[in-house]
Amino acid sequence: MDVQPMLKVNNLTKKFGNLVAVSHASFEVCQGEIIGLIGPNGAGKTTLFNAITGLYKPEEGTVIFKDKDITGWLPHNVCKLGMSRTFQVTRAFVHMTVEDTVRVGAYNRRSDKNAQEKVDQVVKLCELTDIRSKVCGDLGLAQLRKVELARALATEPEMLLLDEAGAGLNAIELAVFMDLIKKLNREDLITFCVVEHVMQMVMGLCHRIVVLESGTVIATGTPSQISSDPKVIEAYLGKRAVAC
Amino acid sequence: MRAKTIIKGRYILIFCAVVVALLLPLVLQSNQYVMVLMTTVLLYAVLASAWNIIGGMAGQLDLAAAAYLGLGAFTTGTLLIRWNITPWIGMFVGGLVSVVLAMLIGFPLFGFKIKELWYALSSSAMVVVLQSVFMMWRSVGGATERYLPAGLSTWFSMRFDTYTPYYYIMFVILMIVLFVNWRIRYSKLGYSLLALGEDEDAVEVLGVNSQASKLKALVIYAFICGVVGGVYTCLYGYMHPSFFDTSMSMEIAILGIVGGMGFIYGPALAAIIMVSFREYLRANLGGQMAGLYLAVYAVILILMALFQPRGFAPLLERGIKRARTYFTELRHGRPADVKSQ
Repeated sequence: MDVQPMLKVNNLTKKFGNLVAVSHASFEVCQGEIIGLIGPNGAGKTTLFNAITGLYKPEEGTVIFKDKDITGWLPHNVCKLGMSRTFQVTRAFVHMTVEDTVRVGAYNRRSDKNAQEKVDQVVKLCELTDIRSKVCGDLGLAQLRKVELARALATEPEMLLLDEAGAGLNAIELAVFMDLIKKLNREDLITFCVVEHVMQMVMGLCHRIVVLESGTVIATGTPSQISSDPKVIEAYLGKRAVAC
Repeated sequence: MRAKTIIKGRYILIFCAVVVALLLPLVLQSNQYVMVLMTTVLLYAVLASAWNIIGGMAGQLDLAAAAYLGLGAFTTGTLLIRWNITPWIGMFVGGLVSVVLAMLIGFPLFGFKIKELWYALSSSAMVVVLQSVFMMWRSVGGATERYLPAGLSTWFSMRFDTYTPYYYIMFVILMIVLFVNWRIRYSKLGYSLLALGEDEDAVEVLGVNSQASKLKALVIYAFICGVVGGVYTCLYGYMHPSFFDTSMSMEIAILGIVGGMGFIYGPALAAIIMVSFREYLRANLGGQMAGLYLAVYAVILILMALFQPRGFAPLLERGIKRARTYFTELRHGRPADVKSQ
């Protein structure tokens, strides 16, 4: 099967003053893939996400999405083109109801007339029917993660970036969440790029993994290749661990 | 079934309020002092309701209401004095002039995502700057009042012998502004603005252009303020740079907040309660000690912030709910009684 890259990140560099958060990072995401982005704390994963989705302007390099150079685009235009995301720390609209939150996303591709239809569909898909009229400020973490996914899904994206969507979930919630992502990938053909610390989720979900350390990509490959890569083990556990 | 009766009950309540407001002048017309007070209350209700769009929904702490109001007043007044253009047209021209200013200030501020205190300061500064400009601009403003053509009571120059017509003009504007509020609240713009008030980055990645959305809100708000400014100058019969009043801008923002952010009728309700109360205090305490009425007014505001920070509207909602359960219980008996049968 011939798959062309949907997202191409070339040589991306993002600095904050003298601190280089991401340095010359390059990787590709193909259509239909679930790709994992892992790395120790402070490796620059979230910064990379922010630079891709337009929240930060990168100093160097390009981001190509669906054959368009989207480097430096504003976030709402990136979303219009078909890429949305969730946040590491949940950023819920605490005074708005679940339904209204999802509706904000639904307006991305829909007008006042047919937005409700999309809202109903996404609310049902993400199993939020019971809490649809609850205010987001009253929800627990697992529910908030679902709401965040729901509002991003309502924008009808072709590619979704999930920033630590599994953090803070218990084993059962995590399994449910993974099933949902797999289903979305299989049935709605949404391409995923996930930043994750929960290894159970990365290994069970991703087709390919990109490892980031101190802002640079140190390895790319399938989960089994990555878990035996000495450079990766070194980054996570130190030099002695490799020697053993 | 239940939901239907609730909605019906609400319509009846709104209908009653409108009828009372329409009939009030007939009863109170003999007392022109009361009429001018009620017109002032409506003026504040309109401005606070307009503020709700930029402040309550978009969460931008705007303190420039008097800038747009004054600009509308000066445009309308100057058009009438210089070129004999009726205020009925002048007020809309005034609205458009305010819109131009709003675009000039809003485009960079929202582009750089200026918010909270910094936005409040920038918008507030605009009022002061405009006041100085009009103080020096001799051909339009200047330090002395400019009176509109006096002695005429005509529809053409929007000048009347009594305050009653102004009351009705303000009332119509208030109804329109509340309707606009309601339409915006349940549209794409309304949902976007509400979300923008909470977390801007998170809304942008959902495909909302934050700059454009906020600019739309600011333009609508500025237009309403400008139009009202036209009526304002005719109501008082003169124009003066003191129309660019920072404390008035502040008060409008306060009414918007105290009313209950996110409730369409909240700011208008707050204006009706607080402005009437302030004028009552002024009439009764003003003679005893200068400024005492403002001190009492401030204490009430502080108490409000302490014990009812969400505003008047939730308080009213709770009252309505309690009254409703009381009446249903009266009709059908208590739920516990029903069970025991």
